[in-house]
Amino acid sequence: MSSYVHPEYLVETEWVSQRLNDPNVRIIESDEDPLLYAVGHVPGAVQVDWFSTLQHPLRRDFLTKEKFEETCSNLGITSDTTLVFYGDKSNWFACYALWLFQYYGHQNVRIMNGGRLKWEKESRSLVKEVASYAKTNYQAKEADKSIRAFRDEVLKQSNDKKPLVDVRSPKEYSGELISMPNYPQEGATRGGHIPGAVSIPWAQAVNEADSTFKSPDELRALYEGKGVKPNGQIIAYCRIGERSSLTWFVLKYLLGYPSVKNYDGSWTEWGNLVDAPIEK
Amino acid sequence: MSNLPPKLQEIVDDFAGMTREEKLETLIAYAESFPVLPEWLREKRDSMEPVPECMTPVFLFAERLADGGVHFHLDIPPQSPTVRGLASILANGLNGRAPEEIIGVPGDFFLPMNLQEAISQQRLNGFAGVLAHMKQEAVKLIGQNHKSAPIF
Repeated sequence: MSSYVHPEYLVETEWVSQRLNDPNVRIIESDEDPLLYAVGHVPGAVQVDWFSTLQHPLRRDFLTKEKFEETCSNLGITSDTTLVFYGDKSNWFACYALWLFQYYGHQNVRIMNGGRLKWEKESRSLVKEVASYAKTNYQAKEADKSIRAFRDEVLKQSNDKKPLVDVRSPKEYSGELISMPNYPQEGATRGGHIPGAVSIPWAQAVNEADSTFKSPDELRALYEGKGVKPNGQIIAYCRIGERSSLTWFVLKYLLGYPSVKNYDGSWTEWGNLVDAPIEK
Repeated sequence: MSNLPPKLQEIVDDFAGMTREEKLETLIAYAESFPVLPEWLREKRDSMEPVPECMTPVFLFAERLADGGVHFHLDIPPQSPTVRGLASILANGLNGRAPEEIIGVPGDFFLPMNLQEAISQQRLNGFAGVLAHMKQEAVKLIGQNHKSAPIF
């Protein structure tokens, strides 16, 4: 069996359990459910909330570079710290947080394979005690736009018939639903997908039983089988850019595609954009 | 404000006066005190279809009590403490009340609790979702009694 192209970006629960007290490693929980961390987390882990921590309080954008630096400083992170992200929902929001930390230039990042689900299934310890670390003076880099796509670029990608991966559920892709099944149907005035986008729901990249990523061969067959190959630029999107962060992580690190961008505007921008082309 | 069932009103008022931290702690307490599903409903729950995508599966059953009131039984996985906490508040505030009274609870009753400062606006969708589900069940109970289709 072949291996992942950049296996160093993925660590196992056992690896993490042996580094709970390693000062060079900071374990970061990022969940969809904001109360999970308080209910119990990996000993020593800190929390980054995808909404209250990572979003700009006013505009639709991420926190500013200065705010990001302040956040990292408060979590005792230096530019050399190895950051291990994990979370609920098959590491959706862990991948989202990892993507954003890379956006501001933190290179040394990992995902804990299987996330919270696997850690819990293995009956590993969870604590309520909130960890705190000595404050640092973190310096972020300028935002790395090579991993983030904006709407004009997405339009060009679509017009040029270059690969776009729609990772939402099949009914969102077809336009039958605007949000995930059983979620409130809001956030976009039109349903459908960006012309030319192929549908590869994000969940197909993970094993349902323990939330771990599928094998390199399975992943390669999944994406290449739909024509998404490791050449040229690829853009992934979903509804707000969280599910597509997971696909971005898979394509960029597990399969080693050279140029992958996450379109965080995603359907809540595209489905509201005047004059934007839509396919159903 | 319209008249909420007294217990629900009490919970709303309590939250309104709390700090952000207290709100989080109280919500967690509600999530952790979530009642276990009684044995007689387990089989019913297990026959439910698993829901694709990663939404929180919410099992809800409305039992009609002898005095005409409604008792909601809920099952929500512990991996979703926020939805559990919100559903638990609703069950605590509404259990024992008449279906007509439950249907009358406004969909935005929770706004004065100012929970968005603790768990963000998006997550409050869970509140509206569970309440809508409870109202649907309450409507069915009225229908059973009066043999007429009720209107929202």
